[in-house]
Amino acid sequence: MNRHRSTAAILSLLVMGLGQLYNRQIIKGLIMLAVEAAALMYFIPNIGRAVWGIVTLGEKTQGLEKIGKISVRVEGDHSIFLLISGLITIFLLVIFIIIYVMNIRDAYRNGKQRDEGALPASFRKTVSYVLDRNFPHLMLTLPVLGVLFLTIMPIIFMVMLAFTNYASPDHIPPAKLVDWVGFQTFANLLTLKTWSHTFIGVFTWTIIWAVIATVTTYFGGLLVALLIEQKGIRFKKLWRTLFIIPYAIPQLISLLVMRNLFNGQFGPINQYLGYFGMGKLPWLTDPFWAKVTVIVVNMWVGIPVSMVLILGVLTAIPKDLYEAADVDGASGIQKFRIITIPFVLFSTAPILITQFAGNINNFNVIFLLTNGDPVKGDYQFAGSTDLLVTWLYKLTLNNSQYNMASAIGIIIFAIVATFSIINYRRSRSFKEEDMIQ
Amino acid sequence: MKKWFAMSLITALFIVSACGGANNGGNAENAANATNEAANNTAGSTNEAAAEEEIKPEDGAKLLVWESKEERPFVEAIAKEFTDKYGIEVKFEEVGAADQVTKLTTDGPAGLGADVVVFPHDNLGRAVTAGLVLPNDFYEEISRSENSEIAVNAVSYDGTLYGYPRSIETYALFYNKALISEAPKTFDEIVEFAKTFNDVPNNKYALMWDVGNFYFNYPFVSGGYVYGDNGQNKDDIGLNTEGAISGLAYYGSLRNSILPLNSGDITYDIKKGLFTSGTLAMDINGPWTIADYKSAGIDFGVVQIPSINGQPASSFSGVKAWYVNQFSKYPNAARLFANFAATKAAQLKDFELTGAIPANTEATNDASVQSDEIVKGFVAQFNQSTPMPSIPEMANVWSPIAAAFSDVWNSGKDAKAALDNAVQQIKDANNGTAAK
Repeated sequence: MNRHRSTAAILSLLVMGLGQLYNRQIIKGLIMLAVEAAALMYFIPNIGRAVWGIVTLGEKTQGLEKIGKISVRVEGDHSIFLLISGLITIFLLVIFIIIYVMNIRDAYRNGKQRDEGALPASFRKTVSYVLDRNFPHLMLTLPVLGVLFLTIMPIIFMVMLAFTNYASPDHIPPAKLVDWVGFQTFANLLTLKTWSHTFIGVFTWTIIWAVIATVTTYFGGLLVALLIEQKGIRFKKLWRTLFIIPYAIPQLISLLVMRNLFNGQFGPINQYLGYFGMGKLPWLTDPFWAKVTVIVVNMWVGIPVSMVLILGVLTAIPKDLYEAADVDGASGIQKFRIITIPFVLFSTAPILITQFAGNINNFNVIFLLTNGDPVKGDYQFAGSTDLLVTWLYKLTLNNSQYNMASAIGIIIFAIVATFSIINYRRSRSFKEEDMIQ
Repeated sequence: MKKWFAMSLITALFIVSACGGANNGGNAENAANATNEAANNTAGSTNEAAAEEEIKPEDGAKLLVWESKEERPFVEAIAKEFTDKYGIEVKFEEVGAADQVTKLTTDGPAGLGADVVVFPHDNLGRAVTAGLVLPNDFYEEISRSENSEIAVNAVSYDGTLYGYPRSIETYALFYNKALISEAPKTFDEIVEFAKTFNDVPNNKYALMWDVGNFYFNYPFVSGGYVYGDNGQNKDDIGLNTEGAISGLAYYGSLRNSILPLNSGDITYDIKKGLFTSGTLAMDINGPWTIADYKSAGIDFGVVQIPSINGQPASSFSGVKAWYVNQFSKYPNAARLFANFAATKAAQLKDFELTGAIPANTEATNDASVQSDEIVKGFVAQFNQSTPMPSIPEMANVWSPIAAAFSDVWNSGKDAKAALDNAVQQIKDANNGTAAK
């Protein structure tokens, strides 16, 4: 009774497509055979080198050979290329194995159909089935491949870098090889005095910045939104437009202008302070004031976003709640505390967490406004206002410390992922919660 | 299950069709060419006639050159001459000189780099240790004999010559002739002048320079040195020696006497604005500023940086040179071009079109260069300059030492403590960061 299904499955296990041929699905079987042939042609010469490349990261450095007066390059191993090409090969192998398993299951299922007396589907039928019933999956294959090779693979590559010694000056290919060093990079980051001191300092400031930046923009936005929504305020549209403007100007322009506005000696802001007889403030040159400045400027950039969001939420609050409150003789403050705030917070809490995670990586404001300065003598390649993400940028682009940058990247990822997961779970629980207690 | 299967089938087809094996051929060919070349050369003559010999470019060679935007007129002119003479097509792509090594690190091995690149010599160490550039071998004698010794040493690494020197760069003292008739010889003269001239509320300042930038601050610690053995020994850091400490202390005293500003408030644009509006008497800056100041109609001169503590002020200098990418498909044609674009005639053309000061000794003494007062000031400063160290460890110097300068300037930190701390950081960065 189980003759066909097991025979087909075993045949497919031996060679891809044989089971399909046995099931009289000739075209499908031939396509399978072609796939397997192509895969074998690709893997047999490549798989060994890929594994060797990933395990050893190369053994022979590139050199020069003198021929008469001319030096000629002698090809060596490029550790980073070996790592990437090895990764690609292994990814392809995984995909191939998945297809192979599918092929066995397919042969088994069609065999089962035959055992039950049905005819296996013809090729035309299969194609129309794919184009019709499975059209969404067909359309998704390309994006899925894109994500696999353009997102997931680079991330894995970056994570792997953290476990190598890929850094200037002694381990930059092709003239030098890169080696696996296990957790050495993380150990250096946390135990070597200069690194750990910088890391702890920058990390602390990153968290402080993320909290303050999120809170100020959120409540600033709430305040502005409430003011605009007040009864008796005229020209509401005008105010709304005005407050949106900072959000509409590209940060690249507005922040670089701000940088000049805040110049301690020649900037207009200090000039005006001078006219009013007040002292000048070192807006961007003193570590403490620079931190104040980035937070203030970030409020200017970030408040419009929260404002728009909260304006939307405010319109959704049922008016009859307020009317009922008026009948009960509630004061304005009570209405605000008991009706408005819970409503707004409830709808926007998930976004608050998203904003917090976004502020941890708020590259623009810091990079364009202060570039991480003022310099700090006891930091390694970082300044007083550098966030982890701008520090990572400097390490990669200015100092070629790729392994260290990658380790920091992993740490940032861990932090942001934690918040995202919390956010996700909270919003799930929200859906099942009754709102007004 | 069936739909999954169908989907994966399609995926498989995509992958198989998309993956062609790339081979990196070409090397064997190059080697073969080079041997022919060598045979031709040895058969032809001895080294006596090196200047007469021509390297034989590969058949069908096409060259790509990277250069910054400012140099476009020169590169286009020289490329045209080269194409007319040898029939080899030269394409030009804009890449800033300071970014080229970083770009070559990834693009070179991937086969996407330019055949001929140009960068300031302080990046040479990174390029050599990463194996990105070929030595200047075929034209070595010519390059050595024709260019100034400072320039040749700057573009050599570990005793091997790599670059084809083209132009030199350093900074000097610009002074506005309308505000100060006689250029000062010592910093003490500037301090005297500032007593009468400075007027902070009206933005009148005697002298400005990029106070927070170590590149421009080097003259103050030039009583010491950055790295020993002509900047090649990473274990010998001379930034906290006696000379450097006293120089830095003097630098710290200047804040009160001539420039009462925070170092972060002085930027290139602000200096430019003040100098061109005639309230800044002197500015320490590089040749890239000349065009801006000329177009503003300021009558200015350029002289050597005044002496500090009785010592001549040695500035950092940079030498720009052509280099041949090791991964070039046409290394011989690239050598030919690199040399062609670095001859005396080419350097003079570069000077004429972009104002770049030649590294070639004969070109420096050429009438067109000598008749230019401004350029003479830069050449004089160059002759007492120190080439920036070119070892990769130079990258670890900038930020700790800048922090030391800024601590001394802005918060009056003790010079010795600041420098000791900076040197310790540089040592840590040199020895401790890379896992052993």
